[in-house]
Amino acid sequence: MTSSAIIGIAAGLVIALSTIFPALAQGKAAKAAMESIARQPDAAKDIRSALILSLALMEALTIYGLLVAFMLIGKI
Amino acid sequence: MEKEVGAVEESPVVLPLFGFLDVTGEVVTMILIVVFTAVVSLLARRLLRERPGKVQNVLEMAVESLEGFFAGLLGPEKARRHFGYLGALFVFIVLCNYSGLMPGVGVFDWLKAPSASLSVTAALGVATFLFLQAAALLSGVGDYFRRFVSPMFFMLPLVLLDEVIKPVSLSLRLYGNIFGEEMVVRQLYGIFPVGPPILMMALSLLFCALQAVVYTLLVSLYLDEATEPLEPRPRKQRKTKTLAQSLEGGLK
Repeated sequence: MTSSAIIGIAAGLVIALSTIFPALAQGKAAKAAMESIARQPDAAKDIRSALILSLALMEALTIYGLLVAFMLIGKI
Repeated sequence: MEKEVGAVEESPVVLPLFGFLDVTGEVVTMILIVVFTAVVSLLARRLLRERPGKVQNVLEMAVESLEGFFAGLLGPEKARRHFGYLGALFVFIVLCNYSGLMPGVGVFDWLKAPSASLSVTAALGVATFLFLQAAALLSGVGDYFRRFVSPMFFMLPLVLLDEVIKPVSLSLRLYGNIFGEEMVVRQLYGIFPVGPPILMMALSLLFCALQAVVYTLLVSLYLDEATEPLEPRPRKQRKTKTLAQSLEGGLK
């Protein structure tokens, strides 16, 4: 296997793994937020801002993966 | 000079200026954004009336809702105090992100979305770092230095690391989001030029605003954490008695 093939596989793996797990976590967070909004509609505003913050922090992990994948692609 | 790796590309110089002040497309776009905001605010100030017109209504509503957003996070007093930096940061980042959606931006070398370049977001990160340190120092010098060793002295390296990581993660997050979006739009355009890129651009209308909200949200959370007065350290019971106490004890 040439080194560029290895780099290609690595870039694919990076973006795949760093999408799968934050996506699962974001699903969990959104589920919990929706449940608590349904239980307590008055608190929807606070819950929404906390949800957006936590989603953004999880999204950052995916973005780091994306950047690393781009860097790897650039090395081919 | 050899080409840098993928993500960290050099952008072509459009206006050479002594070599170290070279103007790139991002800088031109940022200057345009700054001029635009300055002109709009000057015009709005000129048009201030007792009975607000359209422009004044819209701008007043924008400023008030922005201040309400920060007041919800920091409390009204701190929000008022730091509104200059936080509001300017928000407006600048929103305009930087949206500038990538204007037709022509990103196609020519002269105009490029500034926040899709790591240098710009890193500069924003450095400015935010300085702002946070200054705000923390101004809110209390003693607290500033005690915060580094706050629960225990061995927290010092962790807190120092945290201070450095904050701006780095802020700038990487903004850069990665905007750059990633641009790349996705470009790839989609390469695959199928008509339908999908528009969908992605419509989504990025949402994401651009969201990224600015997230950036300022995080900055104000860090600010709240950094300027909150520490609770006074619990005094340890002194083992050595004071002179008066020992005298009393001796007399009894």
